[in-house]
Amino acid sequence: MSESLAIRNEPFGQYPGLVAAHGLVPNLFRAQSELPRVIEAEERLIDAVVVRENVLSRPQKESLLCTVAGVWGNDYCQALYGRSLRAVSEKETALLKFAGKLARQAPWFSRKDVQVLRDTGFDDAAILESVITTALGRFLCTLAYALHPDLDPGLALPVSSEPLRFSESSDWVETPGPYLQQGPRPAEDFPPYASFREQYGFIPNLFRVQTLRPDVLEAEVQALEKILLPEDYLSRTQKESILLVTSAANLNTYWVSVQGQMLSVLGVPPEESDQLVEDHHRAAIKAADIALLDEVRKLAYPLAPPGSGFEWDTLRAYGFSAAQIVEAVAMSALANFLNTLQAGLGAVPDFPPRRVFGQKDLYRFPGQVRPTSDAAFPDDPDADVVARVQNGEVDAFEDLVRRHTRRVMATLAGIVGNMDDARDATQDVFLKAFEHIDRFQRRSKFSTWLISIAINTGTEFLRQCKPCDPLENFEDEQGFRPRQLQSWADNPEQQVAAAQRSSLVREAVLRLPEKYRVAVLLRDISQLSTEEAAAALGLKVPALKARVLRGRLMLRESLAPHFIRIENRSPDAQLR
Amino acid sequence: MLSCADFLAEFGDYLENVANPDLRARLEEHLRECKTCRVIVDSTKKTIRIVTDSDSFTVPAENVESIVKDVMARIRKKKP
Repeated sequence: MSESLAIRNEPFGQYPGLVAAHGLVPNLFRAQSELPRVIEAEERLIDAVVVRENVLSRPQKESLLCTVAGVWGNDYCQALYGRSLRAVSEKETALLKFAGKLARQAPWFSRKDVQVLRDTGFDDAAILESVITTALGRFLCTLAYALHPDLDPGLALPVSSEPLRFSESSDWVETPGPYLQQGPRPAEDFPPYASFREQYGFIPNLFRVQTLRPDVLEAEVQALEKILLPEDYLSRTQKESILLVTSAANLNTYWVSVQGQMLSVLGVPPEESDQLVEDHHRAAIKAADIALLDEVRKLAYPLAPPGSGFEWDTLRAYGFSAAQIVEAVAMSALANFLNTLQAGLGAVPDFPPRRVFGQKDLYRFPGQVRPTSDAAFPDDPDADVVARVQNGEVDAFEDLVRRHTRRVMATLAGIVGNMDDARDATQDVFLKAFEHIDRFQRRSKFSTWLISIAINTGTEFLRQCKPCDPLENFEDEQGFRPRQLQSWADNPEQQVAAAQRSSLVREAVLRLPEKYRVAVLLRDISQLSTEEAAAALGLKVPALKARVLRGRLMLRESLAPHFIRIENRSPDAQLR
Repeated sequence: MLSCADFLAEFGDYLENVANPDLRARLEEHLRECKTCRVIVDSTKKTIRIVTDSDSFTVPAENVESIVKDVMARIRKKKP
């Protein structure tokens, strides 16, 4: 550790590759000063992928990096690589669409997309460079999202531009790989392959399909050696687990298969790896490691609404050091890089996979964003005002606050349990929305986006004062069964005065377990449609419906004693 | 015929009048035979009505304006 600190305190002029690529050492890399070996690996990758010109020109590759940053709404990387962005030809537009789809919609990427680029006139060497550059773009965006460095001197935030429109399909297409022709087979003593034989015991197929660029292969192996292998901060098992969980979040069958094998070599039983893939909360690992995997998994979708993104403070609270957190971020960035490479090249699994991802796995995690048309949401009544705010008209935001305060505050009151805290949280929601409004890309209604921020803000508030959360065990969720079976009065409202009714409902709602409470609040208090509520919670519609129904049945149990027919005190019947 | 457990797992769309015709027919067949589930459907509909109509989480108008004022003051302070 002392060596690292000594290196860290030296000036940053020691990274000539980064200076050559950017004109300076960008803050993105300075933010990783705890881990010089990681910066060195990144420098080598950038040099091999971006700076060295082979088939694609450097401006073309910087345009690809900028495109990847654009589809993930990453202002920092857009600013860093946007300097060379210029009007492109039709052929180059096809290249950017290719990169945009691979970076943002990897599960839908297939041989067909590669063929489209081939038909446009790019050869396999150019396509390989495009895939590698796109993967590097995901690496850098992951770093920037988690580390959120300040803009470097001389860089400016990107100006909003026409969004890329992919020739997308919402269907899961499985096409056999690999997609590209391979270069000459390297000699037996090719250093990267020797390294794989030593570390893995085999040469993964992903690294056999990139032989057209041996220099890039060397940089990739160095990244593995400098980020994954050292154990001075996080353990090897922790890092392999990060790669496994991130790959599962990206629905990457290939890397989940490789990681299962690697963890097995490290002594983790296959069943334990399977559990990490399905739900790491139920794996037999320490609470701190669960928190670590929670946070890094968010980096597979760096588009989370404000308040639900990567939380450095959470990891500090679990005792992780700054160096460990930076290493976890770098590991997650490396995982996204490797996953994107595989999706773009179609490398086939090295082993029969224990888990094959498919259509049914899409949107399996909360917050996962369903790709949609890039057209703005068609019926958003706030669209005009939002556009004015995005164009710098600060005062227009006042209309949005006035329109939505009631719904946001009612939702928060139902989550946090009292009006005073809800009022403070409501202000926070609008401040976060204003701060991030440039990232609102109109793929949902503004009101839905706002409510999703409110939910994240409210649940974060609850986490911070967990003892206040009233009755999580109010009902055994698995064994829930209606017990109040008496008929209700024809006009139950008449049995209880309005003020008391209001109080009864409030108490009953607040007694619901959080996940049912929020679902009921959105549907029955805030009056969102089923689709809007599902979108705000990042759930599929059937999952949202199930939560709403369970919540309503639980409310019925709570309210029944006050609204059953007065003369009716014994059950009418029993469930069969 | 559906069991009560099946009925309770499936009747969410029925409550909101969006069940497809086939599901609706199966649920109504069960309801014709099962008084308990009729009670549950009736009382759940009333629950929704009571919750929706209640002003349990209603925000008074004066609160709205004061929040608008506070939020905009904080934004303008940050972005003069």
